[in-house]
Amino acid sequence: MTSESIYKEMGQAIIDLDEEKAINLANKAINEKMDLLEVIEKGYADGIRQVGELWEEGEFFLPELMRGAQIMQNCLDLIIPNLQSGTERKSRGKVVIATIEGDIHSIGKTIVATMLRAYGFEVYDLGADVSPRKIIDVALEKDADIIGVSALLTTTMFGQKKVVDLLKERNLESKFKVILGGAPVSSTWVKECKADGFAENAVEAVKLVKSLLGN
Amino acid sequence: MLFQDLLNNDSKIILFDGAMGSEVIKHGLEPGKVPDILNVEKPEIISEIHKLYYDAGSDMCQTNTFGSTPMNLRRHNLENRIKEIIEKALENIKIACPSGRLIVGDIGPTSEFRPPVGNASGEDWYASFSTQANLLEDGVDLWHIETISDLEEMLAAIHAVRDISKKPIIASITYKRTKRGFFTIMGDSLEKCIQTLENEKVDVIGSNCTLGSGDMLILVKEAVELTKIPLSIKPNAGQPRIKGDKTLYDQPIEEFVNDIHEMINLGVKIVGGCCGTSPKTIDQIHKLIDSL
Repeated sequence: MTSESIYKEMGQAIIDLDEEKAINLANKAINEKMDLLEVIEKGYADGIRQVGELWEEGEFFLPELMRGAQIMQNCLDLIIPNLQSGTERKSRGKVVIATIEGDIHSIGKTIVATMLRAYGFEVYDLGADVSPRKIIDVALEKDADIIGVSALLTTTMFGQKKVVDLLKERNLESKFKVILGGAPVSSTWVKECKADGFAENAVEAVKLVKSLLGN
Repeated sequence: MLFQDLLNNDSKIILFDGAMGSEVIKHGLEPGKVPDILNVEKPEIISEIHKLYYDAGSDMCQTNTFGSTPMNLRRHNLENRIKEIIEKALENIKIACPSGRLIVGDIGPTSEFRPPVGNASGEDWYASFSTQANLLEDGVDLWHIETISDLEEMLAAIHAVRDISKKPIIASITYKRTKRGFFTIMGDSLEKCIQTLENEKVDVIGSNCTLGSGDMLILVKEAVELTKIPLSIKPNAGQPRIKGDKTLYDQPIEEFVNDIHEMINLGVKIVGGCCGTSPKTIDQIHKLIDSL
């Protein structure tokens, strides 16, 4: 079997949400000393991209999206320790993500974090009800590229603006790109906050982060 | 008056209430606070909002208990206050409810998902809804299980209520519009949801929230082809927009009411509003119903 056809099978296993097959193929790739970076990029990552497309088409829903990203993550957890040193999968960038202070809704934010990880970003998920100060402190500590702030409630989304305002106050606004998410967020709100973008769902969020980081 | 009498009266359009959440925000609810605690902390505001809806012509209003399940309150560290919250909710609506009108026990989603999205199980949901329904049962005329985005969670809620109460159930699911039609975010189609709710023999099949009145009208056109069970519809007043520190719903009331009019023409039995609607909206729908 050619490498190309194995990659295709790996991608298909993600789309089929067939964890057993995806894991078996990952073990096979490790045992046969395949080029593991290619395995990730041309195999699994291609699968998760297609899962994202199926979500956008309305063919896949939350369970499929989450399951696909989880299977992808489990395969990566197997493969990554076997990458030869010096050939680590290059992180596409670092993202610090949180649901804003006062808001305990974490599901959307968790889905975005899972998808970003599946696409190769280094993600620090701070959970829900996180203060703007803490978000910024962690972003500094981790040397993040992107700060993602989620809010489900129209009452808490003002905290998203506080993150941008506080960055400005601390002269850090050029250091990070700030993106917003959550049901009530719109492009008008992003403009009002002077943030760098927003996404309506996890797949859009991945596209947004990629375009902001130019990859 | 009994809900069943209203339901069986062919010429009657039943007027539900409008939003509670966006109304309490107008009264200065603190960010992130669960509106249900206001039953205890600001009972006069909650009673006043109910009264405004009854005065505007609502045949029935729902208790301010959307989030009053142990699963929801736990996240706000309020689980041990559930009894107090629900008892006050019943008091607040009872004060406002004129004789001859009805009180609806409001049951919202637990906000916890089953795997692979979250960790909730059917048993968790059932237990949580049971506690809520038990505390509400004596003070309500009927039930509205609403804003549910997972058919399995809806079933857990229906079974929990049924095991406690013989009162009528309105079962409202929230849908998103996709390229392939209306689905829950968990992937259940409108058709599957309606079929399942018919099998459960709920008294009224409903939809509320997420969709504005325009999209909801499209959903209604599909729904009336799928079932003969009475329908309850509570759309949002368009999509929210933030201006300064205020949340605005820009959709003109006339547009919303026109859509409701079309829904009534299509055979919808119960109409009201969800996020962004107010006593003003309900007043306009009341005038519309009177003119029919």
